[in-house]
Amino acid sequence: MYCTNKNLKETIKTTLKNTLIFILPFLVVIPFWEVISQLNIIAQLPAPSEIFEKFLYMAFEIDVLTQHLIGSIYRLIIGYILAVTFGIFLGTIIGLKKIISDIFTPILSLLISIPTIAWVPVLLITLGLGDETVIAAVFLGGFFTITYSVIHGIKTVNKNLINAGKIAGAGKYKLFESVLLPGSLVSLIPGLRLAIGYSWRALVGAEMLAAMIRWGVGKMIFTARMSNVVETMFLGLVIIGIAGLLLDRLLLYIEYRTVVKWGMVTEG
Amino acid sequence: MKTNHEKIEIKNINKTFEGGHKVVALENLNININDNEFAIVLGPSGCGKSTLLYLLAGFERPTSGKILLDGKPIKKPSPNRGFVFQDFALYPWKTVLKNIAFGLELKGVSKKEAAEKSMEYIKMVGLEGFEHAYPHTLSGGMKQRVGIARALVYDPEVLLMDEPFGALDAQTRKQMQMELESIWEKTKKTVVFVTHSVIEAVFLADRIFVMTARPGKIKGIVEVNLPRPRDYTDKDFLKVREKVLELLESEVEKSMHQEQE
Repeated sequence: MYCTNKNLKETIKTTLKNTLIFILPFLVVIPFWEVISQLNIIAQLPAPSEIFEKFLYMAFEIDVLTQHLIGSIYRLIIGYILAVTFGIFLGTIIGLKKIISDIFTPILSLLISIPTIAWVPVLLITLGLGDETVIAAVFLGGFFTITYSVIHGIKTVNKNLINAGKIAGAGKYKLFESVLLPGSLVSLIPGLRLAIGYSWRALVGAEMLAAMIRWGVGKMIFTARMSNVVETMFLGLVIIGIAGLLLDRLLLYIEYRTVVKWGMVTEG
Repeated sequence: MKTNHEKIEIKNINKTFEGGHKVVALENLNININDNEFAIVLGPSGCGKSTLLYLLAGFERPTSGKILLDGKPIKKPSPNRGFVFQDFALYPWKTVLKNIAFGLELKGVSKKEAAEKSMEYIKMVGLEGFEHAYPHTLSGGMKQRVGIARALVYDPEVLLMDEPFGALDAQTRKQMQMELESIWEKTKKTVVFVTHSVIEAVFLADRIFVMTARPGKIKGIVEVNLPRPRDYTDKDFLKVREKVLELLESEVEKSMHQEQE
């Protein structure tokens, strides 16, 4: 791309504008919230300033926030990677073979309608009260969505893209790696984006129920509820929200660097 | 006539599509195509001419009959043939260079060598400076230049072209026809080119195979013995064109009736 001065100015301008639009609602809501809670209109509602104090205390003074975050992120990564791996694997097979599609599609439709959190009590019995249960919940949260998006992606790859690969001499594996997989990204990437959101929600819920784990953002909220520390509970909510937003932005960025850049979709 | 060795033999080909209702696409088709020949298959839409090309590529299997390439039956797609698609079928996620180099990489050619060879073909189709562009940023004509370079780069014996200029505007189309002719004269491949444009056929072909409306059969073969490059307004050109049109006319009406049914 050519980057003239004018272009650079334009870029800075739009970035500033976008940032302002992003911050604006917070600039309105946070002071409003502060006033409401200082006036004690809603019982037990901590002020943003109190939540921020709690944040400083937990992050630096007693230094537990990092461990909570690491605990959650570790489970998210493991569970999500498993979901992506198995989702792509199963989705590809279903997308390619009609007979397998006929067998699995009804089962998938049935399973996808079960809220992930409803699995957790069963998982607690079979996998125990520790990390495994939470990771399994993260996996289930993302797996079905990813599988579906891969199936859809593979089925909608232009037949002639596959033909072009075949006549150039691509074998089965090369076709998958060089044609089917990138060709299905149009559907897979939005699927990954949805799935990481679902996985993240499942994670927080499962952490609250898995009694043997010590660290985790969900756990943090749950323990705070035991001792009635409302600020910590709110801090947990804020962290969950921000982390969810960042994860979504990460996937959005990947979408821009791939299918949007390649002109396969017009908007991210 | 040139020294004719039969490159492609199409013997008693039938192709029927089973589906909601049975469609006979090709019926008892027999064609021989010579080595280095520019063969054009011409026919009304829906006459099965693209089906014929897909059979030659090996993307589809005939219901009955045989297709031989150098005496050996065609069973599946393989790089001894190159294919140029009507809808270009370029990989959106690969740059122009990578799209073209793909076939070479599949052959096991080293990355560096593949890039060098691809650049040669990029120059040949006049796309220098666009090697790092993604396909969606190119015009239709430029996309099909990539399509042609991609099909030729791994040096196939036969080039199969499925209405390659059908999606282009008239001006670009004429330009592409001239360039294709000069590329063909340089590379001397056997070309099987499918089109429904009579002018395109007379301009490019050594022989024109005129097909009937569904079910597709050969209605007649027209030899075009005119010096190249040909002139659209030349008297002999118009005469050949007239002859082809006559063969085609009744068939176009028939295919229109079929579409109304």
